[in-house]
Amino acid sequence: MTQNNAFELNRRTVMKLGVGAAAAATAGVNLSSEKALANNPAKSQSPALGARLSRAEGPLKVSGQARYAIEQKLENMAYGVTVQSTRPAGRIVSIDTSAAKALPGVVDVYTPQNALKLNKPTVYSKGGGATEEFTPLQDDVIRFNGMHIALVVAETFEQAMEAASLLKVEYEAGDAIVDFNDPKAKSQPIDAMAAAWGDAATALANAEVKVDVTYTTSREYNVPMEPHACIASWDNGKMTVWEPSQWVGGARRVVSDWLGIDIEDVRVISPYVGGGFGSKIGAHPHVGLACAASRKLGRPVKVSLTRPQTFTGLGGRPATRQNLSIGATKEGKIVSIVHESWNETAIDELHVEACNNVTKIMYATPNLSSRLNVVPVHTVQPGWKRAPGENPSAYALECAIDELAYALEMDPITLRLANWADIDPSSKLPWTTRQLREAYAAGADAIGWWKRNPKPRSMREGRELIGFGMASGAYPMLRTASEAKIVFHVSGQIEVLSGGTDIGTGTYTILAQTAADVLGVPAETVAVRLGDTILPRSALAGGSQQANNLTGAVDRAAKNARAALLSLAATDPKSPLAASKVTELTLENGRVRPTRRPSGGISIADLLKAVGRNTLEVEGNTFAPGASEEMKNGADRSFAQMKASLEGGVSAHSWCAQFVEVRVDEDFGTIRVKRMVAAFDSGRIFNPKLAESQWIGGMIMGLGQTLLEEGHVDQRDGRTVNANFADYAVPVNADVPGVQVISVGIPDFQASALGGKGVGEIGVVGVAPAIGNAVFHATGKRVRSLPITLEKLA
Amino acid sequence: MRPFDYLRAQDTAAAIAEAGKPETKFLAGGITLLDLMKLNVERPARVVDITRLSGLDTIEVSADVIRIGALAKMSKVADHAGVREAAPVLSESLWRAASAQLRNMASIGGNLMQRTRCTYFRDPGAYSNCNKRNPGSGCAAIEGINRNHAVLGTSDACIAIYPGDFAVSLVAFDADVLVRGTVARRIPIDEFYLLPGQTPHLEHPLSPGEMIVGIEIPRSAALKRSHYLKVRDRASYEFAAASAAVGIEMEADGRTIRDVRIAVGGVATKPWRLRAVEASLKGKTLDESTLRAAAAAAVEGAKSSGHNAFKIALVPKVVARALMTVGDIS
Amino acid sequence: MSAARQLSLEVNGKRHNLQLDIRTTLLDALREHADLPGTKKGCDQGQCGACTVHVDGERVLSCLTLAAQVEGRQVTTIEGLQTADGVMHAVQTAFIEHDAFQCGYCTPGQIMSAIACIREGHAGTDDDIREYMSGNICRCGAYPHIVAAVRDAASRLKTERAL
Repeated sequence: MTQNNAFELNRRTVMKLGVGAAAAATAGVNLSSEKALANNPAKSQSPALGARLSRAEGPLKVSGQARYAIEQKLENMAYGVTVQSTRPAGRIVSIDTSAAKALPGVVDVYTPQNALKLNKPTVYSKGGGATEEFTPLQDDVIRFNGMHIALVVAETFEQAMEAASLLKVEYEAGDAIVDFNDPKAKSQPIDAMAAAWGDAATALANAEVKVDVTYTTSREYNVPMEPHACIASWDNGKMTVWEPSQWVGGARRVVSDWLGIDIEDVRVISPYVGGGFGSKIGAHPHVGLACAASRKLGRPVKVSLTRPQTFTGLGGRPATRQNLSIGATKEGKIVSIVHESWNETAIDELHVEACNNVTKIMYATPNLSSRLNVVPVHTVQPGWKRAPGENPSAYALECAIDELAYALEMDPITLRLANWADIDPSSKLPWTTRQLREAYAAGADAIGWWKRNPKPRSMREGRELIGFGMASGAYPMLRTASEAKIVFHVSGQIEVLSGGTDIGTGTYTILAQTAADVLGVPAETVAVRLGDTILPRSALAGGSQQANNLTGAVDRAAKNARAALLSLAATDPKSPLAASKVTELTLENGRVRPTRRPSGGISIADLLKAVGRNTLEVEGNTFAPGASEEMKNGADRSFAQMKASLEGGVSAHSWCAQFVEVRVDEDFGTIRVKRMVAAFDSGRIFNPKLAESQWIGGMIMGLGQTLLEEGHVDQRDGRTVNANFADYAVPVNADVPGVQVISVGIPDFQASALGGKGVGEIGVVGVAPAIGNAVFHATGKRVRSLPITLEKLA
Repeated sequence: MRPFDYLRAQDTAAAIAEAGKPETKFLAGGITLLDLMKLNVERPARVVDITRLSGLDTIEVSADVIRIGALAKMSKVADHAGVREAAPVLSESLWRAASAQLRNMASIGGNLMQRTRCTYFRDPGAYSNCNKRNPGSGCAAIEGINRNHAVLGTSDACIAIYPGDFAVSLVAFDADVLVRGTVARRIPIDEFYLLPGQTPHLEHPLSPGEMIVGIEIPRSAALKRSHYLKVRDRASYEFAAASAAVGIEMEADGRTIRDVRIAVGGVATKPWRLRAVEASLKGKTLDESTLRAAAAAAVEGAKSSGHNAFKIALVPKVVARALMTVGDIS
Repeated sequence: MSAARQLSLEVNGKRHNLQLDIRTTLLDALREHADLPGTKKGCDQGQCGACTVHVDGERVLSCLTLAAQVEGRQVTTIEGLQTADGVMHAVQTAFIEHDAFQCGYCTPGQIMSAIACIREGHAGTDDDIREYMSGNICRCGAYPHIVAAVRDAASRLKTERAL
């Protein structure tokens, strides 16, 4: 990488709050905070954390100045386009590349016969950073329809695309298992993730009231608006990859695996990410192709998946099926839950959709049995889509609870309260916080729950049937220790550094807020740099953990930084405050002063100047004291240090209660959501404005899942035939009604250092059952498969 | 995309002369053509950009006819006050189609030439068997995923749907397509769309080089009292699961139907006029049960391919509701 | 056939003389050749709206427009909205205030679309805004805030015009 590129990177990744985009984009690290401080004369600051500050990088994003991964400008860049198989199984006999290679501008065409060498990466479940083992071009086996089988590299995008269309592939047919309904499909139990207590079978058999149902969900795709694409640049034995990533440390590990080079020789940069929702946690196989091609050609290579390729170049949520039986007394006490689920996985890889994550913790039941199974089929390895596991788990459970409520002639909220779990029924551990009763109350009040007529098909307006539905859900607390750095510059600039990424979640903003509170400066004056493996180690932006991980680390770093500043002021002989004791000094409003003097003192910049330093860099982390480098690296580039919801002898989760009102056209069966209201317990909210946006976004993704989204797999060849935004419909603006979100959380210091719980995923949990239950209330018809399209109501 | 020669036509005569040459396509809004070129469904050697031809983008509403130039944008026609007043169905079928951006690009002539959205037709890399692309090669859709395929006007060679909205309105109200080639001629809109039969690759009765220069829609009382109902999964920016363009004219008694026009979209291989349903309603009293009974005949001869069976049930309901709306039956 | 062609495009009031393959779309010309990557590629097939720009003041999709087609026309992209001294358009400000985006990738297209939506007179009611902004997909689900931002900007622009 050239120095210019490094400068450009710094320039683009440095954030400033509340200043014009052009100024922020060009001023970068040299932007002085002194002027900003001068405009904010000493006054007591209200805490920044918790304030409704606007998105820090907003000015850059609304002006087109935020450069996403593949928008870096590099000299001599070539364009790579992958070619994907059109068969689900079998093998490649040959690929004729002659027509493609004859075109002007074509640099090379890589196929299994003219392969780019890539090693198999280590997947996360085996201690690595990869989400799939599949390594393209290394053999002639066809594993699924839409698998990368070639990479065409040309001087221009247009040349590469045309050349890619001219490859002639000869296949040898193979037997395919197209989906989990295929009679040839065989399921495999995942015993390690089963759950059981009591005698669920007997209790169910003896139960007075039962529901016994099967719920299914379709293949869903994350399809963030920024397609998966990267630039790989090999230079002098080192690889730099600009990759839209939820986890630069993991991507770095995978690149080093693929290329067989030292991880220290890999840098992954991801200043902005155009959405991920779980699909950009792992660097996917096309990134390997880009890296290998760049190394082979000695020039930067940009590889972008086309929109259709984003449906098979990586996986979305697999199709799931759940059998669920709930037994209860006539009074509505649950006595047994029997659950079994199946999800699709790649033919030679393992992806488990943990469909019992909510099932096993939501209600107090003396007996429960849950088993999970995977079904290998010829599909791209499925991946994580927002709330993997919890989302389908809550779908089946919360629809079945609604069915039970109708069977008992009980109100669904009353039934839920009657089965309130005082402790985690699965682990028998106490909850940290569980503001779910508050969520039920707030949501019910906001939607007017108690004013509805609960009888199915009893409410209408004109030719529209009106339905109300509710459901609840949970998302577990995941945590990984992380580190962060504070840098004071002699210019007055204060920087927060972390390798974590901001995928639209607000990381840039809340980390500035965190540091500002500790350092006693306005959040607007703190610049945050993210998304680069040269920055302090961070776990993934996934599993709703990053905000808590990084606010914790930045809080520590800032406290260390404050102490370091005071110590510098008190001990450096050149400091004007050198005569003071550290304990007698205070850092306030960006100035170090003797505590007993109400004003004056010295600015941080002047202090650095006085002692002759350009910068003061101070690290902080949330690792246990004495943590080894190996552990810290493990936190950054594997899941080795990730702590799950039961850490520390308590059970920590976010909670939600979702309420919707739907309108169903009685003739057509078209469902329109009229209102959505949800109450969330995500603990302490670091920035309500941004947290609300994430909750709302999750709810809308849930709306799409419930009513629209379904991968259509051709049964003859396993091809996803609707792999585009016209045929795989996601919600548009007109689909989305007024949405109201309510925070009912309280700070939870057992859950995280600063009291927050997860925000990003909980929004999509419980939406599908709330809508499904509302459709039942409107129509009297129970649809048990997603999406609920109009023909299912015919 | 195959490389091509790009020519910018200076006048209509030159455009027609150029387009008469082999492997040549007119380029207007580009929405169908460029899209299909990227998919390698269309691979022209020459592209004639006609967007700068003058005088072809006019919209005139005279006493007895609405005349729209072929290069008028969908958005301009949809928002045209005279069109909205004289022919609500035309405006509605335009603004409910595509998106605001696409309607700003799409010309009326190009919209008439919009091609099917059959996913197999649009995926030549995976499916060589498409009678529309490769005559005689078979049809991948008939046994495939066919939720968005036609139930009316199909053949054993092709079930690809005509996906548009505007032409459904035009077919309901007897528009003419004005065409210029070596001679100028006028093609009734219903004849402008060909049934697939055994030749699904032939979609229009146009000769090489012939260019659509405009359309004419005769004004009528039914056109003034008209409506376009579009039913779809998503609330906007999606093709129809089923749609109906309807218009009605009442006798002086206010109860008896004098004239009625009905065409349906999203369900047939071409914009589908329902003349038999119209005939059965003329002279009848306008009420819900009469409309529903008559609409039941809308799917006479319909054939399901599997996933699209729901359309057969849906069409009569869409027709009835559209007529109830124009008939003020709430 | 189809050698690279010299095209002169006027983008944001500035002339760009580019040597382009005739197949180059306006979108790729902006992103890959004119160093204006603010306009985003979300689908490259007219199905998402991320690439929305203005041509002669009207919103269009740059992915389905050949660069050659806009010679002699005025192209405006997200990079061209601010005044020379850096003052943002009211819609840009409203998007920040209402948090009308998260990842930001669809945002340039949303903003270009919103400005046109207001100018066209299609921002009169929330339902109008929803319908006429439906050509811009936002997978983060910022729609309610986009509607609020467009409503707010429309009323501010109306007030400004009245003054």
